[in-house]
Amino acid sequence: MREIPASAALTSRPAEAVLFRRGAEPVTCGRFLADVAALAARLPDRPYVLGLCADRYNALVGFAAAVSRGQVMLLSSDRSARRQREIAASYPELYTLADAGEDPNWEAPPDAVRVAPAAAAGTVGPNPLIPLGQIAAVGFTSGSTGAPAAHPKPWGALVAAAKAAGERFGLNHPDGRETTVVATVPPQHMYGFETTMVLPLHVATASHAGPHFYPVEVAEALHAAPGHRVLVTTPLQMRALLGSGQPMPKLEAVISATAPLEASLAEAVERAWQVPVLEIYGATEMGSIASRRTVEGPLWRLYRSVALRRTAADAMAAEVAGLPDPVPLADAVELEGKDRFRLLGRRTDIVKLGGKRASLASLNALLHAIEGVRDGVFVVPEDLDRNPAARLAVYAVAPERSAEAILAALRQQVDPVFLPRAVTLVPALPRDAVGKLPQHALAALRRQLAGTA
Amino acid sequence: MSCQLAIESEVAALIVEALHLETSAEQIDPEAPLFGEGLGLDSIDALEIALAISRRYGFQLRSDDERNGQIFASLRNLSAHIEKHRQR
Repeated sequence: MREIPASAALTSRPAEAVLFRRGAEPVTCGRFLADVAALAARLPDRPYVLGLCADRYNALVGFAAAVSRGQVMLLSSDRSARRQREIAASYPELYTLADAGEDPNWEAPPDAVRVAPAAAAGTVGPNPLIPLGQIAAVGFTSGSTGAPAAHPKPWGALVAAAKAAGERFGLNHPDGRETTVVATVPPQHMYGFETTMVLPLHVATASHAGPHFYPVEVAEALHAAPGHRVLVTTPLQMRALLGSGQPMPKLEAVISATAPLEASLAEAVERAWQVPVLEIYGATEMGSIASRRTVEGPLWRLYRSVALRRTAADAMAAEVAGLPDPVPLADAVELEGKDRFRLLGRRTDIVKLGGKRASLASLNALLHAIEGVRDGVFVVPEDLDRNPAARLAVYAVAPERSAEAILAALRQQVDPVFLPRAVTLVPALPRDAVGKLPQHALAALRRQLAGTA
Repeated sequence: MSCQLAIESEVAALIVEALHLETSAEQIDPEAPLFGEGLGLDSIDALEIALAISRRYGFQLRSDDERNGQIFASLRNLSAHIEKHRQR
């Protein structure tokens, strides 16, 4: 019988392989390991670390150094002081990591350990063995309210997911040249973490350090990358990039996640850039579990490392390699064969914006808790998934408060993307006999308000 | 609220149109923050505004522009940045 390995090296790439590109400068795997060892040696002896590096290479060196010390990296793409306080409330023993360079738009915590990788080209550091069951990272859900819900990621699950993604997207190229991954998603978001931090450790890819927010930056990084190129992005960024008219070099693939991708946008990008547009299905709780080429239709194909199991008449759970328990799916799905499924729609309580999720019930609870608000509801516009300008709206019954005061109170507690673009004061909400707000009654209220405006 | 300069009125109208805001362009205080307090925009909006600017004024915004946060700090700063870099 073959013995099941209990640990996996930090990286399975050869020492001379290019693991990262910092601008034009390639960083080999050996040099990366030297950077990791140097940082690991000066990390404080604490169990948790909150990574706040914006530079993607610094973020990876920080993660790898923490893991090699047996510490857990807490992942938050929201770097605001408020979010830091929320996380620190749950993890009082944490310390923080930040870029060594000053960021004029953001202030690092005064006691942050600064990351400044400086290993010389040609140096090679040790490649530590990490137990597969060791919790390497924690992702958080609830972009919106209250205490963040934590989702621990064992090292084995991260490595298995990276290998499955590498296989699915053909990233271990037969010609042996690595694929450069340029990503518009932050390294601390679960999707960006998997595709740009864990992937280069175990698949023949080199992540580009960034920044890649605006279209011109994305196009320049892709043009500068030698060999194979993949763009990891979101529907919103893809739409902006296409709309900017930036010429694109030859790409192997464009990969999209965080929100449903419209087939018309996928088609337009495939035509304009002559590239397959692939979509990933996943969630912070389980990571990426399936993919599809959007223009080919609605069927998703599971990664090799994942199986779906029915847990109730209308509920499924994903069994994910490396995760101790099955993860309930937030969406209703219909299986087709062993490894394909179609999405039947999402649970209506969850709203997604800018790659963040919020529960409408908890947003409504925050609204009701505001002094002077007798009743109120967050309303989701019908075009939320396809209109980048679409945001939530609020109807409130609050005779003694102004719309501005309610918005100001919400701003104290709600992530900016979930703030209502309009707060409309109404005399009453059309609740039914049992106190529920039927969708048709809300729609009628909306029409009535539009008519009288 | 201080008065909008001509370029500021033009950029205000561009923002209102790009983001489908319910505010009218004249109501945007040129010195109030665009993000957070003030107009209350977010990072998705920044991308939309960047796209509208590249179409209208023919130049691209970048993260490594000196003090990117300063550019978006107010309508006045954004308009001044556009005046300086516009290609048309």
